[in-house]
Amino acid sequence: MSGLALTFTLIFVFITVLVSMRQKLGLEKDIMIGTIRAAVQLLLVGYVLQFVFRTENLFLIIFIIVMMIAVAAWNAGQRGSGLRGIRWRIALSIGATEALIMLLLLGLGIIEPASQYIIPISGMSIGNAMVVAGLFLNGMKQDVLASKGEIEALLALGANARQAIQQCLKRAVKASMIPTIDGMKTVGIVQLPGMMTGMIIAGADPLEAVRYQILIVFAFTSSAAVTSIILGLLSYRLWFTKELQLRLQDSR
Amino acid sequence: MSILKFDHLSKRLQGSSENQPLFSNVSAVIDEPERIALLAPSGQGKSTLLRILSLLDCADEGDILLNNVSFREWQPLHWRMKAMYVAQQAVMLPGSVEDNLRIASRLHRTVFDNDYARKLMADVGLHELDWCKPSADLSGGEKQRVALVRSLLLYPDLLLLDEITASLDPHSKVAVEVMLAELHEKQGTTYIWVTHDLEQARSVSNRVWFMGEGTLLEDAPTGEFFRSPQSEAARRFLSLADREEGEKCQA
Repeated sequence: MSGLALTFTLIFVFITVLVSMRQKLGLEKDIMIGTIRAAVQLLLVGYVLQFVFRTENLFLIIFIIVMMIAVAAWNAGQRGSGLRGIRWRIALSIGATEALIMLLLLGLGIIEPASQYIIPISGMSIGNAMVVAGLFLNGMKQDVLASKGEIEALLALGANARQAIQQCLKRAVKASMIPTIDGMKTVGIVQLPGMMTGMIIAGADPLEAVRYQILIVFAFTSSAAVTSIILGLLSYRLWFTKELQLRLQDSR
Repeated sequence: MSILKFDHLSKRLQGSSENQPLFSNVSAVIDEPERIALLAPSGQGKSTLLRILSLLDCADEGDILLNNVSFREWQPLHWRMKAMYVAQQAVMLPGSVEDNLRIASRLHRTVFDNDYARKLMADVGLHELDWCKPSADLSGGEKQRVALVRSLLLYPDLLLLDEITASLDPHSKVAVEVMLAELHEKQGTTYIWVTHDLEQARSVSNRVWFMGEGTLLEDAPTGEFFRSPQSEAARRFLSLADREEGEKCQA
């Protein structure tokens, strides 16, 4: 795409601004900020990726992946406000998921050990794990609040923390995985995934693009399951005080 | 060796801006198996005290000793198996009646005593209840009795009963009272029973704890408490209850 063609895409932004002004939506400022941020962030990422792909430096690749995990953990951690130490637990869960996926993809020779494959696939998998972690924490907050009576009945019968909260954990893991599984069922029919579409536009063979998309969809499913199960195991104790009393979180 | 001892317990009202106490300086000792009725006007913290004694809630100050050992040295789950709290609102766990009855043995990997469970169910008037029935389909009174039996299957030394007969019909209420008296007699089980029913308090207890003015105001043998309460608050409480009872009879 030429620079001129890219500049023409600003027409879409002008249309949106016009609609906002005409309908008095008051979104002009947000649209402008969003436009500038999207352009700057994406161009910056483009240059960074170009540099990384050229140098193929292992430490740089690891650094980028660690940064992605840190940002994802910080972001998903906002869903777990009030739970002390939740962010490093999320980071550990996402990190373990990422390590497992890369181990399988590289170990089995499914992808080549090149940054061109590792970074985009890691980005998508970490992004998905971040959404799953957020959904899991939200689900837990609501479920623990709704199941207070059940949890306390179990505690009163001498249950330990894991036994008392087991049902909530199960329900929250399930709820966090449903969007990924639903996405799997409708992919290609309801929506054409961004990665696949991008590859096709960039000139790749559609069948080659589909193969990579299948890889991503399958990897997402296991990343969802592994992230939320590990996060569940690492975080369930946070819902209790050290005296094994239920600590109710703000459900916002 | 005392069964239960608590010293200078205090609890502040949650959410109160000035740290207003719900109760303070609450102390008592149980040296031998007893049947205690815990009485108080509403809002004095009876349920909170029971929850604190089962370690489901924590006191802001004071110490509690079970078998002469402070709660700080106990594993909370071991404590709760000995000092069993039975809530006013019985919560059934998902599954059938049998799943609920078996929960304690499942949690602690012990053998389920089927005969004892059947006996207890019969004692509380549930001998005809189908154990396969989903627990969610039980009536309020049935849930309350199943929850009690579920707790008793752990053979607790101390029962902390929070208005456990509130939603029972008179016949079932008597059945529960008789069963608990028998448990005390045969197994030496101690209970602390929160009730608003003074007639019940008279018949099920040998000792009364009365809470008023933000503390444990009276600790006396049942007969003595009802004959000659020492505090003005207790006298007021009893006369008010008598008046309400009289109005109910007239109505």
